[in-house]
Amino acid sequence: MPTPRRALLAAAVALVLPLSACGSGGDGGGSTDASGKVEGNITFETWNLRANFKSYFEGLIADFEKKYPGTQVKWIDQPAEGYADKLSADAGGGTLPDVVNVSPDLVAPLARAGLAMDLDKAAGTYKSEYLQGAWASHQVPGLSGTYAFPWYLNTGPLFYNKALFREAGLDPDQAPRTYDELFADALQMARKSGGKVATLANVPTIEDFGRYGVPLMNQQGSAFAFNDTKGVELLTKYKQLYDAGALDPQALTATPESSGKKFLTGAVAMNPGSALDLGNFKKNAPSLYRNIGITDQITSTGHVNMYVMGVMVNSRTRHTPAAVAFAHFVTDAQNQMSFAKKVAIFPSTAGSLNDPYFTKEDGTDETRVRIAAAKSLKNAVNYTPVLFSDQMKTALRNEVAKALQGKESPKQALDNAVKAADRLLQQG
Amino acid sequence: MAVPLRVTNRPPARIRRQLPHSPWLFAAPGLLVTGAFVLYPFVSTLVNSFTDRRTLLPGRFVGLANFRELLHDDMFWTGLRNSTLYVLGVVPALVVLPLLLALLVQKNIPGITFFRSAFYTPVVASIVVVGLIWVWLLDERGLVNSLLQAIGIGRVGFLSDQWLLLLSAMAVTVWKGLGYYMIIYLAALADVPRELHEAAAVDGAGPLRRFLTVTVPAVRSTMVLVAALSSVAAFKVFSEVYLMAGPDGGPAGEDTTLVMLVQRTGTGLTGRVGYASALSVVVFLVTVALMLLVLRTDRREEP
Repeated sequence: MPTPRRALLAAAVALVLPLSACGSGGDGGGSTDASGKVEGNITFETWNLRANFKSYFEGLIADFEKKYPGTQVKWIDQPAEGYADKLSADAGGGTLPDVVNVSPDLVAPLARAGLAMDLDKAAGTYKSEYLQGAWASHQVPGLSGTYAFPWYLNTGPLFYNKALFREAGLDPDQAPRTYDELFADALQMARKSGGKVATLANVPTIEDFGRYGVPLMNQQGSAFAFNDTKGVELLTKYKQLYDAGALDPQALTATPESSGKKFLTGAVAMNPGSALDLGNFKKNAPSLYRNIGITDQITSTGHVNMYVMGVMVNSRTRHTPAAVAFAHFVTDAQNQMSFAKKVAIFPSTAGSLNDPYFTKEDGTDETRVRIAAAKSLKNAVNYTPVLFSDQMKTALRNEVAKALQGKESPKQALDNAVKAADRLLQQG
Repeated sequence: MAVPLRVTNRPPARIRRQLPHSPWLFAAPGLLVTGAFVLYPFVSTLVNSFTDRRTLLPGRFVGLANFRELLHDDMFWTGLRNSTLYVLGVVPALVVLPLLLALLVQKNIPGITFFRSAFYTPVVASIVVVGLIWVWLLDERGLVNSLLQAIGIGRVGFLSDQWLLLLSAMAVTVWKGLGYYMIIYLAALADVPRELHEAAAVDGAGPLRRFLTVTVPAVRSTMVLVAALSSVAAFKVFSEVYLMAGPDGGPAGEDTTLVMLVQRTGTGLTGRVGYASALSVVVFLVTVALMLLVLRTDRREEP
């Protein structure tokens, strides 16, 4: 019967038509030539910045649109949770915004998929405006080029509860600075409190291995290497802490948020954080705030860990000159400096850290944290390998947990973690 | 002159001409939605399971490699074990407890509406809120542990011990599901003829006897339906365990369920979509097998 068949065909076409839009967004636009006229409508995506910095970004966008008439920037701010999933959905669906706030581990897969613009080619002229290390932080092993403008840098201090230190017979003004001092203090704290107060609420992460002096990858950057003697030594010491109750019992399933809460309630004595946390302590835990101690990150290498943020340009943007100009505008020295004055972050532009704002004491805790952090940033290292994906982080956390529970030896656990990470690395 | 009335059940010619199209037009919106959000993802998952596709990189056909890999993946076996344990732990409780609850709230006594609503509240509460409340209750320093400590039992690691964590998550699933299945049972109980109970009572059957010989046989089909629905839901459990055990699935990932593993493996910028699809296909097959098993039990017991 021809009629139902035609109707069936129509239904099938109707069914397939919307699906054809689900592919990978096509390859419209896309050129690394940023020399044309800066014009057109572009989108700019950030994570978790609207709540606190709405007026800063609206002002920034207005300034850019004023400087380049004919441009219009649409700002999209996403929640921090699930940001990578949102990016992957957009990248897969061909709706990745023109300019995107990324970190090096987010930019790596986007660059490998050809979605991040090589700024050595498109914006090489700006390279000298940034700190050398910061510019290099968005390079991806195995690819030539740089895939995002460096934006702000950060390094968190370590907070400690002076009252708990005092109760454990430790000097509240002498916080541990190296891992050996940390382990000794943590064991004493556990012993004196009868296992009720833990010193830390987190298990060691890849950054801890880096700060302990463990080589994370081989020299070629083609395989992981944190299962060496030093890595095993660090994990063995953490196992001793766990057994003694110096690590919170829920450390194996902790998230940064949950360990922050433990610190707030006085269940743990030390926790990493940022200068932003001081306001939180003041508001939500006044008694903790009165006893708050601030010290540098624990490191055995002399180099603290640095977090780097970047701004990448979508290689498929239809408005390359405008997207590159805007990404540069957001990250230029003047705008980074004014952003740094609103929030406890540090500019990645050359010479900015010498500004009196980062060097001159005024007696407040906030300034003390800021100056100490700016000083340590000058030789800080971004320990997280760019290619260390979320799946690899999970594999490491799971193996570390097995070692701490005594289900595997530290050596076996790290061998397994390296094997899993290497396999994921080879699978691309 | 009166026109003779012709009685016919044939529709007028204009409507007749449209008839062949009409069913399709009516079905089109449904077909479209089902096609876009059910069939397409299903077929796409099936196709992806035979490729090494990544989130951002197109895949190559790799045959059964993903399925072979998961046979050697410890995490897959952990997930399968936990999802199966979840079915075994949760389904019997969700078949029996809501029935008992329905019997309790079925009675027309003053204030019973309040209790019916109270038991149904967890069903409508957001799972995230429910998860957070239970995490606070069961935390090392939470309400439950404070009470246990006060009566001298000491702290229990509900959220740090692998097995206690799984049991706690199961308890939350049962707690949240009770009201939902209670409503289904209430509807079934309303259909049980009152005369049967009265006749049994006249014959000297006590409440327990009447429950076993009258109520249970009358609601047996509903029990099978509840078993089928709850076993599929239990095998696909995600939220409760994710919220209570954390994104890694508890200490060393030991509480990971299969759906959590699919989520963890296949999402993010470096997600292994091909491998996660193979895991999803396994979840689908096991779920279908579970349904068939439960429904087959019903048929076998049919008189």
